[in-house]
Amino acid sequence: MEFKDYYQVLGVAKAATADEVKKAYRKLARQFHPDVSKEPDAERRMQEINEAKAVLSDPEKRLAYDQLAEQHHAGQDFQPSPEWDAGFEYRGRGFEEADLGEFSDFFANLFGQSGRGGRGGRDYQMRGEDRHAKVVIDLEDAYHGAVRAMTLQVPQVDAQGRVASRAHTLNVRIPKGVKAGQHIRLSGQGSPGVGGGPAGDLFLEIHFTPDPRYQIEGRDIHQKVPVTPWEAALGASIETSTPSGVVKVKVPAGSQSGRRLRLKGRGIPGAEPGDLYITLEVVLPPANTDKARELYETMARELAFDPRQRTGG
Amino acid sequence: MTQQNIASGELVDEATLTLDELARACSVETNWVIERIESGLLADGSPYVASWRFTSHDLTRARRMYRLERDFEAAPELAALATDLIEENQRLKSRLRAAELRDT
Repeated sequence: MEFKDYYQVLGVAKAATADEVKKAYRKLARQFHPDVSKEPDAERRMQEINEAKAVLSDPEKRLAYDQLAEQHHAGQDFQPSPEWDAGFEYRGRGFEEADLGEFSDFFANLFGQSGRGGRGGRDYQMRGEDRHAKVVIDLEDAYHGAVRAMTLQVPQVDAQGRVASRAHTLNVRIPKGVKAGQHIRLSGQGSPGVGGGPAGDLFLEIHFTPDPRYQIEGRDIHQKVPVTPWEAALGASIETSTPSGVVKVKVPAGSQSGRRLRLKGRGIPGAEPGDLYITLEVVLPPANTDKARELYETMARELAFDPRQRTGG
Repeated sequence: MTQQNIASGELVDEATLTLDELARACSVETNWVIERIESGLLADGSPYVASWRFTSHDLTRARRMYRLERDFEAAPELAALATDLIEENQRLKSRLRAAELRDT
């Protein structure tokens, strides 16, 4: 376990006042809050910042931490002794229940209940906290359902009462018909309970892998399909690949680029399945052979067509 | 360490969350949820607690509001306002992407 320099995380001096800690925290929260930040590792940074603030804004935790920090520096390997904070009193529990899953092993070992095992061993039961994770799936998975392996870091308490993260691989069944932003709840797959209490639940939030071919709005899917000028002008029955597989689409005669066709019920399945919207995109063949040029010239000669007539251009 | 068996969960929305389940999933007290529903910041503000059921959207919204309140020491109304704007922004972005696909 690495020693964390919380002063460095917040960018404040060791002598910083409570007010300075708060100010530094707010400034960083504005920058890295995952709900508003555009920074790529916002979530991880915010967790670190919250953790540093939890310690430095609490006078008792800060005092205990400062004593440790005198003998350690950031990144140094570090194992606290069970009595590292002997002589310090905390109001209530050392940490909020919600924090353990979110904070680092370093924090959990110093301030977590389990990190202070052996002292005042309380005989109580507590349900493990619920945990949250994001899972990224392909759009096709929402159409057909799938099984996806995912690896989560799970905090585990060893016999000495130390907390260490362990990689936990879980094969999850993705049910057919999931939407972006929807949750799958896995009962009992959250944090383990305390004193024989039941484990919490794991909530997986569904996200789709970005796919340049498709745009997703709820259960509706938007897709562009290229067509030839004659298919658009004369009408045609074409085959195109969609998230649900290859489908036959009837292009109505007289279609223009940008015409939208709705394939009812071909969106993401569900009790009310979404629709698939196909936008036709007329693609011109290049005039790079004598034959092709001749055909274009024939059209130019034979067709009385001026697309700018209506626009007055 | 691979777990061979496959974990099958339930899809939130088809099975909605109770008040207790929502509060637990957000690591808040049930009162936190009730106060925000009664002041119209969360869900649709139905007055009957027993019939309250919550969707995936409510869960995402409640967690976001809670994080904003906690991390910025924001008043609930302000956190809800920021959440409204974030949700609106996401809706518009997704419509814009669909429209771009349509128009280009």
